[in-house]
Parts: sequence; C-alpha cells; structure tokens
Amino acid sequence: MSEIILGSKSVQLLIALILVSTFMILGSTRLYSCVRAFGIQSFLLACIAGIVAYSTGKNDLYVISALTLIIKAAIIPYIFIYIIREIKVKREIELYVNISPSLIIGGVLVVISYYLIKSINIISELSSFALTASMSLVSIGLFVMISRKKAIMQMLGILIMENGLFLGAISLTYGMPLLVELGIFFDVLIGVLIMGILIFRINKTFESIDTDMLKTLIG
Amino acid sequence: MIAMIEYLLLAPIMTGILCFFTKTRKQVETISISGSVATLILGLTLVNEVFKYDIIVSWENALFADAFSAFIVLIVSIVGFVASVYSIGYMGHEFNHGILDLRKLRFYYVLFHIFMFTMLLVGVTNSLGLWIAIEMTTLVSALLMILYSRKSSVEAAWKYMIICTVGITFALFGTILTYYGAVKILGESGDALNWTSLIAVADQFDPTIMKLAFIFILIGYGTKAGLAPMHTWLPDAHSEAPTPVSALLSGVLLNCAMYGIIRFYTITTKSTGIAFTSNLLIIFGLLSLGIAVPFIILQEDYKRLLAYSSVEHMGIIAIGIGFGGIFGVFGAILHMFNHAMTKSLMFFGAGNILLKHETKEIDKISGVVKSMPVTGTMFFIGGLAITGSPPFSIFLSEFTILTAGFMQGRYVSSVLFLLFIIMIFAGFFNNISKMVFGTPKPGIATGEVSRWTLAAMAILLVFVFVLGFYIPPGFYEMIMKVVNVVG
Repeated sequence: MSEIILGSKSVQLLIALILVSTFMILGSTRLYSCVRAFGIQSFLLACIAGIVAYSTGKNDLYVISALTLIIKAAIIPYIFIYIIREIKVKREIELYVNISPSLIIGGVLVVISYYLIKSINIISELSSFALTASMSLVSIGLFVMISRKKAIMQMLGILIMENGLFLGAISLTYGMPLLVELGIFFDVLIGVLIMGILIFRINKTFESIDTDMLKTLIG
Repeated sequence: MIAMIEYLLLAPIMTGILCFFTKTRKQVETISISGSVATLILGLTLVNEVFKYDIIVSWENALFADAFSAFIVLIVSIVGFVASVYSIGYMGHEFNHGILDLRKLRFYYVLFHIFMFTMLLVGVTNSLGLWIAIEMTTLVSALLMILYSRKSSVEAAWKYMIICTVGITFALFGTILTYYGAVKILGESGDALNWTSLIAVADQFDPTIMKLAFIFILIGYGTKAGLAPMHTWLPDAHSEAPTPVSALLSGVLLNCAMYGIIRFYTITTKSTGIAFTSNLLIIFGLLSLGIAVPFIILQEDYKRLLAYSSVEHMGIIAIGIGFGGIFGVFGAILHMFNHAMTKSLMFFGAGNILLKHETKEIDKISGVVKSMPVTGTMFFIGGLAITGSPPFSIFLSEFTILTAGFMQGRYVSSVLFLLFIIMIFAGFFNNISKMVFGTPKPGIATGEVSRWTLAAMAILLVFVFVLGFYIPPGFYEMIMKVVNVVG
C-alpha cells in the first residue's frame, strides 16, 4: 500500500523537490533565500501529507497537512523574517564551511543516508526513497547547524531536521495519531518562539548573533 | 480514581496562571507555596491510587500512570515542593537586593510552576507524549535560565536549547521507529503508544528496528539526561540557572530523561535480548563516570562541581540498569530517588553560599561552617552523602548496584565503577572541605541568609539521613513494583 502511494510519480517528484530545496539552503549565503527555501520545503511536505491523506482516506492527515502549511510554511518563515528585520542582521551568512564543499558534503550525506536505509531491512515495506530523503534532511540539518556561524542558522537547521522526521513519520506510518501530531506542532512553534527570544537576548547582550561569541563557558 | 491525573496536572498550571495575576511579592509567594502544597498532596494521592489500581489510564490513552510513573511523580512533587519553599528565601533575597524586580519575580514563579507541570507530564503520559513533555521541559527551563540577563546565562541557555533540541529530535526518530514496530502488531490506535501494551507485545518487534530505535533513544534522551559524551551543555546550564531551578534540573529533570531511557530499555530488551541494551547502558554509564572524574578533581566553580557530579550519578543509574537483575534495577531506581534528594540539598546549600559570598569560585570561599553554621553543616553532610559515604542513602544504592555488578559477573565494569567512584570521592571531598573548613574570608559576616532556605534543606536532609539505614515498608514495596515494571 505504502509503496503504491509513496512510489507514485507525483510523490516521488515532490520528495525530489524537497531535496532540491534543502540544497538551496546549503548553496545560499543570503538569509532570506534560506528562509524562502525552508518555506518551500515545508509547503512541499504539506502537499505530500495531503496526497497521502487523499489516497489513504485518513482524515487526520488533512488536518496535519493544513497545520504544516499554516505553521511551517507561513508562520515560522514569517517569524524568521521578523527576527532578521528587527535585529538588522547582516544579510550575508558567514560560513565555517564554504558553499562548494557544503554542497559536496550535502551530496555525500544523501548517498550515506541511502546506503544506511538500504542496510536496515525495513525497505521492503516502505518507500525507501522517502526514508532516504528523510534521513538526508536530518543529517543535512545537522550539518547546517555546525557549519554556519549565525545563531539563526542553527535554528533553521533544527527545523530542517524536524521536517526530515515529519517526512519519515509519514512514510513509515502515515503520520502519528492526531493528538501526538498536535503536541509536536505545539512544541515546534513554541520552540521557535523561544529560540527567537533567545536570539534577541543574544543580540542584546553580545551585540551580535555570531556563535563565535558563545565560547566562554568551558571546563 | 476519577480524573486523578488531570487534577494533578491542572494544579501547577492553575498555580502558574494565578501567579501571573498577582500584584505584590507576598501574594505571589503565598500562591506559589499553596500551589506546590496542592501539587504535593495530589501527587501523593496519585501514588496511593496507583498502589490500589496498578494502572490508571485516561484521555484516550494519552494519560497513563503505573508504578514507575507514580515513582517519578513522587520525586517531582517532593523536590518541587521543597524547591518552592527554597525559592521564597532565595528569590526573596535577590528581590530585596534589587537584582530582580517584581515583574521578573512573578515571571519566575509562573515559569517555575509550568516547569513543574511539564515534568509531571513526563511521568504520566504515553511513549510519544513523553517526547512532547520532555521537549516542553527544555523550552520552559531555557526561559528560566535567562532570568538574569548575564552574558554567561544567555550563552548557557542557547547551548542548552540547541543541544537538547537536536538530541531530542533523535529521540523522536527512535520513538517513531518504535511506534512503527507497534502499529504492525497492534494496529493504529492509542494502544500502540501505551507503555503496558507496548511491553506486552515487545517480543514480537523486529529486533533490527528496535536496535536502531534504542540507539536513537539512548542518544536522544541521553543528551537530556546528561550521559557522556552528550553532557556538554549540562555544567553550563546547571550552573547558570537560578539555584532553585538548578536543583530541579539536576535532581528531577535528569531523572525524567532517564525515565524515558529506562522505559525504552524495557521494551527493547524484550525484543533484542538483554545483552545489547545492557552493554550499551554500561558503556555510556562508565563513560559518564570516567569523564566526570577529571572535571570534578580540577573544578574551580562549585556549582559546576555539582553539575559534573550529576553527570556521574546519571552514569551510575545507567550502570545499575545495565547490570540488571533485581539488585541492579532496585539499586538504580533507589538511586534515582536518593540522588534527587541529595543533589537538591547540595544545590540549596550552594545557593546559600552563593548569596552570601557572591562568587562561584571554590578558592574564594572558606570557613562556611563558621560563617553560616547551619548551612555549612548541612552542606558538608550533603557532600559526604553525595560521594557515597556511609551511613547516608546514596551509599546504600551505590552498594546495591555494585553488588549487582559482581553478582552478574561483570567484574571489569564493577571494578572500574568502584575505581571511578573512589576517585570522585577524593576529588569532590577535597573541594568541599576547602569551602567548608578554615577561617571565613574577611568581610563575610556570620549569619544565615534566610530561614526558608534552611527549612527546605532540613526536609531533604531527613530523606538523605533516614533512607541510609531504613527503607520504610511502603516505599520498599513501591520500588519493588517499579522493578517489576522495568523487568
């Protein structure tokens, strides 16, 4: 069943586009384009949830899809843009790892994810492609967090990871019970708000949101 | 038994909301203390109910309580109550000295009670609810950490937030994998999340998937529980938070994360066999102990000293569970309780010292027992207790765990365990003695900071002392029930 829905051409295409949007984040030095790419990624996820809902007839998934659209594709990107405007961050991202090596590492991570998913024997029952994409999102999100200097990019990295898990959950079990999904959405939203507050606080106390500054507590 | 869990969860939320609408310091303190008394009473009632009915389920399986949940609720409500008593003295002192204004004080109490709510929720929910609750604890406590707008607090809060959120994301993956395994057997209902039904069918789960899930869970919740090498945020966060919160973070929240690991340990063990899970737990546990050793011996900041000691004790609990058998699990569960009480006592003592001396450096403090006789004495007894000296409670649980290690024939781990503990004892004790004995530094007047803080410490001291040589039959029975749940 799962293979039929998630293996269908449209879903495959959407998953491929999600990977493309992730690489847009890796390949960009401008904060706004990163946020836009994240918005697109969340929008595509909402579409996948919608298609799965339509083909399985599970009404809960429509709610989840709508919530993804509202929270992850609209509200969260808006919060990002608000933060960027309010604290007048320099629009360029400073990197620990440059763009081209970043892209290559991203590609390598996708390949590793592919073999990782292949090596555990759950492929037969699932679309391995969706799971590969899910793992790639998680690992690329992690990579974004450690390779970019701005605190705001660490926040984006976490959200990419979260999107990856969302995709994983949909491809494994068609999402989780509604109550749980609502809880997760609530946590993600509150988490973004609190990280936003922290970023404002960092900006106020350190007069910069470079994570280089945050290196005094050791030992 | 109707809606017991809901009442328990509502109490701290209502208290938090009421605190928000207060106008004076007196009002907010009165509401906070009565709220935590209510939480404590409801918590104890829930423990009693669970004793009678074994399992309580409500809200379409979303809320769930068995003996293990009741045990966590017990720890949270006792330490929460004591911490709220302590807060009146500690935060009141900060308020009197103009470090906090009324708005911040109110903000503190609101968050304090919401933090209590999230930790209670960890205990009384199902497998995915657990994830949601633990993530909520991170969010609330990060806000508590930035109560003081110091540079170091902001840095600590950011690290805490980022590292724990990433960790917990891994835990979510592990949880989803478990859910996936359960759905194949139980079908898509709330049952597939419930601890009891998960454990009942755990032996039919695919071992490969469960192995993967457990690794993710261990890394995820292990980050939150402060197991090495994912512990890096812990000393920062625990030393930078306001002291009553440090006590809650160290004494209770770490246990809550450990609770998550132990729950999944039970499920995974049923599916993969005991060797895989217990070896992993012992490795992470020993690593935590080993990493804590140098940091405790060479530590310069006494709140960080206590934080590293928490890393050590979480390691001990992991090892206890890893050794397994009735002795190992019993010791580990007892240790959770003992550590919660003793570490809170230590943090409270450290808080009193901090208020008086306004420095966290060990070298700048001496003669506490002379300048603050009561705090000094209790802090010293706490120091003896936390390092596992007889006749205090932690000695008993550590000894039980060690016995389990030898009984299971894990000689190398047991010897390493003993070795690390002795080294930590020496290092920790050396640092504490430097602070407690000697002559007070010039300019430090004799006298205690507040009677509230001493009352809080005295309550904890009773637990530390009594549980050292006498375990009340009711409490013993409760722990045995938890041991049965853990398996």
